Amino acid sequence: MSARGPRDDGAGGDRRSFLRGALAAGVAGSLAGASASAAAAPADRATTPPARPFHGVHQAGVLDRSRPRTIVVSLDVIASGRGELTEFFRTLTDRARTLTAGGAPDDSGISGPPPDSGVLGPDVPAGGLTVTVGVGASLFDDRYGLASRKPAGLKPMRMFPNDDLDPDWCHGDVSLQLSAEDDDTVVHALRDIARHTRGAAQIRWRMSGFTSPPRPSGTPRNLMGFKDGISNPDATSAAEMDRLVWADRSREPAWTAGGSYVVIRLIRMLVEFWDRVGITEQEQMFGRDRATGAPLDGTREADEPRFAEDPIGKVIPLTSHIRMANPRTPQTADSRILRRSYNYDRGVDSVGDLDMGLVFTCYQQNPERQFEAVQERLIDEPLVDYITPFGGGYFFALPGARDSKDFLGRTLLA
Amino acid sequence: MRTPFLVVSVALLLASAGDARPTLGAPRPAAIEASTTGCGTGWTHPHAGGQVLTLRNDGATAAGVMLVDPSSGAVYAEVEGLGPGVTRRLHLSLGGGTYAFRCEDDRAGDPVTGPSVRIAGGRGSSVAVLPVTNNDLYAPARAYSKYVDAGLDRLIAATDRLRAAVDDGDLGAARTAWTPAHVSYERLGAAYGTFGDFDGAINGGPAGLPKGVHDPDFTGFHRLEYGLWHGESAASLRKVADRLAHDTRALKSDFPHQRMDPADLPLRAHEILENTLQFQLTGTADQGSGTTLRTAAANVEGTREVLGVLRPVLRDRYPALSQVDTWLDRLDAQLKGRSSVDGLSTAERERLNGTAGRLLELLAPIATLAEPRRVS
Ligand code: HEM
Repeated sequence: MSARGPRDDGAGGDRRSFLRGALAAGVAGSLAGASASAAAAPADRATTPPARPFHGVHQAGVLDRSRPRTIVVSLDVIASGRGELTEFFRTLTDRARTLTAGGAPDDSGISGPPPDSGVLGPDVPAGGLTVTVGVGASLFDDRYGLASRKPAGLKPMRMFPNDDLDPDWCHGDVSLQLSAEDDDTVVHALRDIARHTRGAAQIRWRMSGFTSPPRPSGTPRNLMGFKDGISNPDATSAAEMDRLVWADRSREPAWTAGGSYVVIRLIRMLVEFWDRVGITEQEQMFGRDRATGAPLDGTREADEPRFAEDPIGKVIPLTSHIRMANPRTPQTADSRILRRSYNYDRGVDSVGDLDMGLVFTCYQQNPERQFEAVQERLIDEPLVDYITPFGGGYFFALPGARDSKDFLGRTLLA
Repeated sequence: MRTPFLVVSVALLLASAGDARPTLGAPRPAAIEASTTGCGTGWTHPHAGGQVLTLRNDGATAAGVMLVDPSSGAVYAEVEGLGPGVTRRLHLSLGGGTYAFRCEDDRAGDPVTGPSVRIAGGRGSSVAVLPVTNNDLYAPARAYSKYVDAGLDRLIAATDRLRAAVDDGDLGAARTAWTPAHVSYERLGAAYGTFGDFDGAINGGPAGLPKGVHDPDFTGFHRLEYGLWHGESAASLRKVADRLAHDTRALKSDFPHQRMDPADLPLRAHEILENTLQFQLTGTADQGSGTTLRTAAANVEGTREVLGVLRPVLRDRYPALSQVDTWLDRLDAQLKGRSSVDGLSTAERERLNGTAGRLLELLAPIATLAEPRRVS
């Protein structure tokens, strides 16, 4: 079938008459020339974010603080056989390496359409892009002979009592997170990677996210108006990351060294309902002051809550999010997670309410010991009335690519 | 559409020529000359590796420029329609070899080849392709027209059977006859206006019509499909079937005049399946028969025919041709025995969509590399 009416002239006529017309009158070049000289161009960007190094023991994007923009993608692999799967990971790595370095792609001459979408202009700045790749439990089914290589703690995302999961928004063979300073950088990267891996993987679901600038200072706020990401393990401490984030050599297959588990939860916020809640109740739900981010027993966001001094929760209720999530006891210390969440904002639901929320993302060494333990403590917390987890998945973020010959997934597929 | 576009363009052209022309005495950035006078001069430091070459047309008329291997005529880069006074940048990665610019003035005669430039050094990643001429496409276009001609006869026969069933009031038989008639049309590869207005009349959908499926301008196969699968009476469908049978004949008698422009053939290589992805694999073309995947299979046949006739032209020019064949076979295998996307699992649809997507990526370069070009 083809579209009728105007589209017939539009699509068919357009494409051909443009080529011919332009050729005949010799105007294609002059169009470009005219627009360049027509008016003073808007100011150039003063600085462009530098390229993030791609190679390393770990992938970039795991320890990094949430960046201004992200796209989280879940892919299903459709490659036929192990050879094509390996080719997929090689191509993915190659594109990630090229995109994170930036640089002008060569013209394709008459050998084909332009190799690049052009979205970032001819010189393709790196834009501080990070590309972080994970694998889901389903990749270890019988398709690629990987069953025996599955990381010890990798399994499909569990359904928790307050969840309302939509299968179309859950799981996936591969996770891909693209983060950068600007929207166009991540969109460009997604288009490039999708184009180069077509036929090997299809997008199952995707979500765009953003991190707000500090308002007015400190940790950025989520869409409930609270600073989110204040209390986290110290990502600059190698010892702490070895304890809490990087794969545990003693229980994992050797190929996982340098990798980490990532849990992604797509959580809708019922923001209209939330905005109808009094400030005291809001603050008691989280256990923090909305304006400053300080724990309710402190004055600055960096202050440590002192739960021990408030055993019955007079100041910070026992049911508050921070107290349930992290009781700060020796027994719960090894359940801490490295949270790297983003806000999402996408349209309107069937009653006209805004569809926005959190792309909750956390890294850890062991999803049962950490994410699930925290999530279990949070079951039926007062906040659940204002949020609905509807999607996401558990993935294992692969070890980094060591050098220009290495590729993500090499140790898995070796 | 066409006329206003050109008028605007020419206006811009004049404006740009005025703006971009350097004033006397002002320093001008180094550039390689792209007009027929002085073609290729100004290439100051030819060297191997990644580089940007700046071209400028100092002539008075629009120029076409190619960077070629002067011994074979293979093309590394091309700028079409470079306006007077306009500058363009080429990003290239050149290996050791001999290069020359070839410049063409659309008003004047033969292209002019500039001085040969020898570059020493290793391999570059820019690929050179031997350009295809109108002449090269003449035989393929003729062969394709023959295929369409023969297909039109089958279309008319199958559509007559469909009309007869509707005339007899046998809607069951009409539903059975609809699919073969429809796929006999879809096999012809009518993407993007090959058949002009006939395509809309014979195979258009309701999109863009104010009254949608009830619009009087909704005609042809999909109108009939809608009626046959939505309980409309034989009496009410008779006119639709008659009109369709009439339109297929009119197409047949008109086709010799519409004989395909050889330049369109390379575009068809991916355009037919672009439509398939957009309308058939999404299921949006379905008006009740649940046969969009059979349509898709017919579109693959049409694409195979295009590739078949182009093969002599592509064989030495397109290294990925064997991959095209592999992915065509994969797509065929996945369409086999299937009729509708409804009822396919997520995994099955992902495989189908991804296979079509990869195939399209592989087919797309054919439109660029087999576009006819003037070589002398
Ligand atoms: C839409 C859902 C959620 C919202 C709006 C939310 C919001 C917040 C806020 C405002 C804080 C306090 C500031 C901070 O320390 O970052 C916080 C802390 C925290 N949240 Fe959440 N959160 C959500 C979901 C989750 C989930 C699903 C988990 C894990 C299962 C989680 C685990 C934590 C942890 C571990 C802390 C830090 C507690 C501490 O160490 O003091 N949150 N969250």
